[in-house]
Amino acid sequence: MRARPTPLRPRLATWLALGWLALLVSAGLLAPWLPLPYAPATPDLLHITTPPAWGAGGPPHYLGTDPLGRDVLAGLLAGAQRLVLLTLPAVALATLAGALTGAAAGFWGNRHLRLPAAAATWVLAAAWWALSFPFQEVLFLLVGVSFLLTLVTWRTARRATHSRRYTFALPLDSLVLGATTLLGSVPRLVLLVALAAGPPPSPRQLIGLLALLAWPEAARLVRGQMRWVRAQPFIEAARASGLPPGTIWWHHALPHACRPLLAFAPLSLAGLVGLESSLAFLGIGQGPDVVSWGSQLATMRQDSTAWWVAVFPGLALLFTLLALQKMAAVASKRVDR
Amino acid sequence: MLRWLLGRLARAAGAAWLTASLVFIGSRLLPGGPDQLALADASDLSRPVAGTRPAATQQAARLAVRNRLGLAQPIFYVTRTAGQWQWHGTANQYHRWAKAALHGDLGYSYRDGQPVATLLVHALRYTLPLAASAAGLAVGLALALGLYLARATGSVWQRLVANLLNCLQITPLFLLALGLLLLFANPEFLNLLPAAGQAPGAASHGQLAAYWLGRLALPLLSLVLAVLPELTLPLAAGLRQEATSGYATTARAKGLTTRQMLRHHALPNAVIPLLTTLTDLLPTLVAGTVIVEVLFALPGSGRLLAEAAAAHDYPLVVGGVLVTATARLLGLLLADVLYFLVDPRLRPTA
Repeated sequence: MRARPTPLRPRLATWLALGWLALLVSAGLLAPWLPLPYAPATPDLLHITTPPAWGAGGPPHYLGTDPLGRDVLAGLLAGAQRLVLLTLPAVALATLAGALTGAAAGFWGNRHLRLPAAAATWVLAAAWWALSFPFQEVLFLLVGVSFLLTLVTWRTARRATHSRRYTFALPLDSLVLGATTLLGSVPRLVLLVALAAGPPPSPRQLIGLLALLAWPEAARLVRGQMRWVRAQPFIEAARASGLPPGTIWWHHALPHACRPLLAFAPLSLAGLVGLESSLAFLGIGQGPDVVSWGSQLATMRQDSTAWWVAVFPGLALLFTLLALQKMAAVASKRVDR
Repeated sequence: MLRWLLGRLARAAGAAWLTASLVFIGSRLLPGGPDQLALADASDLSRPVAGTRPAATQQAARLAVRNRLGLAQPIFYVTRTAGQWQWHGTANQYHRWAKAALHGDLGYSYRDGQPVATLLVHALRYTLPLAASAAGLAVGLALALGLYLARATGSVWQRLVANLLNCLQITPLFLLALGLLLLFANPEFLNLLPAAGQAPGAASHGQLAAYWLGRLALPLLSLVLAVLPELTLPLAAGLRQEATSGYATTARAKGLTTRQMLRHHALPNAVIPLLTTLTDLLPTLVAGTVIVEVLFALPGSGRLLAEAAAAHDYPLVVGGVLVTATARLLGLLLADVLYFLVDPRLRPTA
């Protein structure tokens, strides 16, 4: 590791990638206010499968129309909007959840996070009350036991800060690893197809679904990094100086464990964009009035002569993915330095 | 060893079962409900004008469908209705499904009433050869390309291949397959390998083989290209890493060419991490067959699953997920056993 990092010299490809992504994001954000002659989902039945035309006579279809008479350019913008408003939040959510769970699992492992026993009984009592299970007597018993345990541990905790009496270890590592294994047992596309088999999910549900499928990778990455960070001398020094474990985790360990995410997040985004487009291409989990790049590409199968229907969304998708890959490569170079 | 293997097997089976159970219960809890969707789909043709039937008739029809599909029972052992928990004993949908599934009966398709297991077995007869030949071809090609890329000649071709693989790595399979379809199976452009069309009815074995070969060439190519980068790039990096080690220098010093050194000395070491990638290959291929079979109109399990999901045919979806999860977890187990056999240093001590 060099002491002084040299300033980053972005080459032409990096600038191109950055420019494309900036264009995409601004197009996605500004899509509702752009002066477009046609809406993305309304068919123009007088112009079905027209090639790109700039001529006079009514507002032109700049990039042509598909076999259903929908404007390709408006569809492209709708796809960009979908990417910015749907896939981007999903990736942010997945990365955040993965970072927190993975870092906690890697830091505390299976044995080091000890919770007071009273916490368990309090949670159990709260769950009993919230779900309104039968046998109210058990609830009263639980509350009583929790109260007693709290009193007892209060006194022991005041006498010795790191007392192991009346505590239990939360097997955090096993829980997180088990959840990732469970989600990883079926290919993501198959699981998404199975879960989206019902009525088309709302955008919020779809964000949740995508985030659910994407967080295990980030969690596994951060967990592995955290196991390395945990053994570093500076963590030992922080422990020796008497900082509480929560502070060490948040202030000292977490920033180091999350460094690989900088390079991983663009790739994760690229993966989800591909996954979402694949799902739209298959036509599963989407209302018929939703336009995205994947569904635009799917209309190509109805008429194989209309090259403009496939070429523009296909190129947009490819450029986006390549730009994200380039960003990931640049970021990983920065992280490694 | 046996105990460790049995433990892993039990855990894999548990995970597969849990996944399928979650999908089963999730599909039953969805808003709309499978019966309403199935009813809406089934009665589209029989109902002349929507809403003309009296509400009572519709209600009766819905109840009849629910009873026929076994959806009138409660979903799980305990359910909560109107703020009260109720215990139903074994008279519930999950118990019935689990019991039947353990006997090898995965239920019946909502759409045509055929047994799910039969449908899946029929579909797998197309999918398994396709996926297996794609995996075999991809591994062979990856070994060749990896050895080629590891030789540090720095030629234009080498850089071209590396860049192409990098681009392929990020391209989603459906885009790749669609591109191939439009380039090579397009009547307007190049109709080299027709992707659709009837099999010759009364034909000799040779004609039939030629027909299927032409039909399968593009799907196979898309699958191979989709998994090739993930296999090749780590292998090339590993080979380059191994080529810097001491034993590689010794091998070169005793007069071997770079190619001989890479093939006989570096490759056995660099191949070991590839085993993990190989097991990750299986889910990629399974997901890939979903797309490829839909796009190239092949009657395999991937297309079956996609169509079942589009038609809300839940017994088929759950059965497909169970089979896929089992295959995936068995693949992971196989990787562990292979590690055990290939590298004695990694053997579990317990």
